[in-house]
Amino acid sequence: MADLPSDLVVAGVAPAADEAAVAKAGGWWRGRLGVTVPAVMVAFIFGLCFIWPIIGPVPPPTGGNILSSSLPAFSPGHFLGTDAVGNDEWSRLLYGGRASLEIALAVQAIGIVLGGLIGAIAGYLGGWRDATIMRVLDVFIAFPGLVLAVAIAQGLGPSELHTIWALSFFSVPASARISRAATLQLREQTFMTAARLSGTSFPRMLLGHIAPNILPQLLTYALLGIGIIMILEGALSFVGLGVPPPAPSWGNMIAQGQSTISANPRFVFLPSAALFITVVSFNLLGEGLRARWGSQ
Amino acid sequence: MSSTSAPLSAPLAARAGRARRLASSPTLSFIVRRLLAAIPVLLGVTFLSFVVMNSLPGDAAQELLGAQATPAEIHQLEIKLGLDKPFLTRYWDWLHQAVIGHLGHSLSSGQSVASILGSDLPVTFELVGFAFVISLALAVPLALVSARKPNGVADRLSMMFSMAGLSIAPYVLALVLVYVFAVKLNVLPAIGWVPPGQSVWQNIRYLILPAVSIGLGLLCFYTRLLRADLLEQMQGEDYVVTARAKGVRPWRVLTRHALRNSLFGLITVVALNLGTLLGFTVVIEDIFGIPGIGHELLQAIDNRDIPVIEGIVFVFAVIVVLCNLAADVLYSVLDPRIRYGRPTE
Amino acid sequence: MSQSLLEVSDLRVDFRHDGQIVRAVDRLTYSVARGQTVAVIGESGSGKTVSSRAIMGLLPQTAKVTGSIRFDDVEMVGLPEKAMRGHRGCGVAMVFQDPTRSLNPTMRIGAQIREAIQTHEKASRGAAHDRALELLELVRLPAAKERLEQYPHQLSGGMRQRVMIAIALAASPKLLIADEATTALDVTTQAQIMELLRDLQQRLGMALIMISHDLGLAASFADEVVVMYAGRAVERAPTRMLFSHVRMPYTRALLDAIPRLENASHAPLAAVPGQPPNMALREPGCPFTPRCPNSTDQCRSHAPAFEEHEPGHLWACWHPCEDGVRP
Repeated sequence: MADLPSDLVVAGVAPAADEAAVAKAGGWWRGRLGVTVPAVMVAFIFGLCFIWPIIGPVPPPTGGNILSSSLPAFSPGHFLGTDAVGNDEWSRLLYGGRASLEIALAVQAIGIVLGGLIGAIAGYLGGWRDATIMRVLDVFIAFPGLVLAVAIAQGLGPSELHTIWALSFFSVPASARISRAATLQLREQTFMTAARLSGTSFPRMLLGHIAPNILPQLLTYALLGIGIIMILEGALSFVGLGVPPPAPSWGNMIAQGQSTISANPRFVFLPSAALFITVVSFNLLGEGLRARWGSQ
Repeated sequence: MSSTSAPLSAPLAARAGRARRLASSPTLSFIVRRLLAAIPVLLGVTFLSFVVMNSLPGDAAQELLGAQATPAEIHQLEIKLGLDKPFLTRYWDWLHQAVIGHLGHSLSSGQSVASILGSDLPVTFELVGFAFVISLALAVPLALVSARKPNGVADRLSMMFSMAGLSIAPYVLALVLVYVFAVKLNVLPAIGWVPPGQSVWQNIRYLILPAVSIGLGLLCFYTRLLRADLLEQMQGEDYVVTARAKGVRPWRVLTRHALRNSLFGLITVVALNLGTLLGFTVVIEDIFGIPGIGHELLQAIDNRDIPVIEGIVFVFAVIVVLCNLAADVLYSVLDPRIRYGRPTE
Repeated sequence: MSQSLLEVSDLRVDFRHDGQIVRAVDRLTYSVARGQTVAVIGESGSGKTVSSRAIMGLLPQTAKVTGSIRFDDVEMVGLPEKAMRGHRGCGVAMVFQDPTRSLNPTMRIGAQIREAIQTHEKASRGAAHDRALELLELVRLPAAKERLEQYPHQLSGGMRQRVMIAIALAASPKLLIADEATTALDVTTQAQIMELLRDLQQRLGMALIMISHDLGLAASFADEVVVMYAGRAVERAPTRMLFSHVRMPYTRALLDAIPRLENASHAPLAAVPGQPPNMALREPGCPFTPRCPNSTDQCRSHAPAFEEHEPGHLWACWHPCEDGVRP
């Protein structure tokens, strides 16, 4: 079933649509297009969400004036209008994006580092250590993350940090599986045996040999997973976790907007569109990179 | 090379041989081993959720009595509900009842957990099943059409749409669908559920939007997966060349040869996917007001209703484990190379 | 109705790969008469397989075929795919090298043979089943009836190859191409399969193209031998003539590389030194120059033409071997 380890499948990540061979036949152009365009889109989105609010004329997303609430789009000073308590929609969109992106990046970073480490150790050591680690990971994967998330929300109180923890329970095992599969493949290669025989210490093996070789795969997977994490963050907002209002995140904006969808559909559709475009960009980027690197 | 068994006893001998092979077959021992390995996972999951729920502030007694209750009243109810016993004792109590199928009773409603599961699970299953049917029924023809002419017009279009479909959050899709079909066009209901016993047609009507919300993402995913697999078969496998050399038409090579071999991969993925799908189902059930297991779970967490939560978590975990197992087993059972054993000379 | 069944003239096959053009087959010319056996001999990468796929139209999209392939008075190069399909299986059929991978693992043997039959004939399932049984008996597969219901992995390599032959014969082709059909088999089975092919050929009046790297096999079974190197035909002659009057140093070297009983024991095996050339680079001279004991500067700068130098015997060499003289 292609080059897909079943773990990537479990995470719901889609396989690459473009065969490397066809991309190669199309030549240089196709390859560049597959990576450059989405990369530019991603950079643009980041710029909008992180940099523009600092340098541009963007009003704060919270603490709006109740007198200017529920203004429609293209009102003076608020070109996307305001929400029910007077916060500027455009600003909420940008700051919301920042929150959602921060969460997704943090979760994936934790996943790569922690999950990658665990998986590599399991894959490299093998034997009962490997089996135990995998069983523990299985428990986390089989565990309905939702229960955990809601529990954290109720017990510790919802916050951006707690959302990151909750979602890490999902990304770490998934990353670990990828990392383990990649390490297992790597282990059989001759340069690894050579390094082992020459007495390389375990930490050095890990950092110097294994890490640089599994990193491309992990990164590609992480990119493809960012979309899913962002979508999951939204799902968490529906059940009470996620970024607590009034601070915006695309997830909680969608969840909040649900109740007034007939009257003010744009409260749902604006963050939805933003989320959609961002997820598509990351997916395309991840796929483009996979087609590029996979063909080597 | 001889095969001179008398014609009458040949089928009997073959069946006995198959039975013997199955009993000692690697497949059976594989299943057994996996089931055994699943037990610690189930234990771990249920224990973990027990830990998590118990570390939350408040308990069922508090929830039932409300904010005005005095500590004494709460404590009394706790004793009555058995919540004062030590943590491990309570887990053990639950566990050894659960393995024989006694899942206890809801702390808030008193209803037996089994009956709660019995009424809610089928609803969720119907929803998820509906979503799967839609997605698979469409994914196969779409993938075939795409693979027929790779990078042709149909292929590019379907890849574009499937990329888009994958990138939409199911709840976003749900809200969009509700807005378009329920609010604006008013052809489909937004919220609610009608059991099939009452009216099959209405039952379907209420399920369409939620099933599509879940199913679209699945459809896109499966289409891409199947297409990739089909192309791999068509471009890389020798038996495809043989088929072409016979003069078989390309469409037939795709459907009669490549598809068979690609379906394995798809089935495995479907089984694996089932587990992770349950999480999104909860949100969809919430949006559409469908009285399924997800809805029940959310309520139970609110009420700190531990037996119900444990029951649901247990069932979820069993489903996930069984699906993973089914995926592995299906692969080996459907493949005739394994089903029919070693080659005969 | 011309004498030859198959006429390959000036066949060229180019592949686009990584922005470069690789010429896998270069100006190949030979013909096969009805009922004749022609052996196409060469190393891996000599273009022998590619040329045979070109005859069947089985090359991938990245291949560009020019020149002429006339089969039964029909020009195959440039033939639309639909017409080509009509020829595959019932005009020209092919037996492949690896029967393990060339048979669909998830389809029963009977179904695969029936498909070969029903693609070209309107036959009911029952009739096709009977014919499939006949075919399996024709290729001398024991317990044919049981085998029809079995899957490929349940048969041994030799049996699978017989099934492949049965499939190839299903629509009564006039020409059978055996592409390294026995290479993956052990020596005994190899001999059996070759005997079977020869027997079938005589019975059915089929022409046979044997593609192989094994000159010994060619010597035993072929009427005519075409030796290919680096995509080109370098020597061609009726078998007896080729082996008694070897002209190309390459053919000579191939012959010498066959271990013989009469050589002294522990004598080093004569191998052909060097590697086949990189097909992406087009050198002006003869491609065998770096490995040829007879080579001169002339060989390096001018490629010799492939011509008939003696009646029935064609070769392309400036310094061919002479009878009885070893270089």
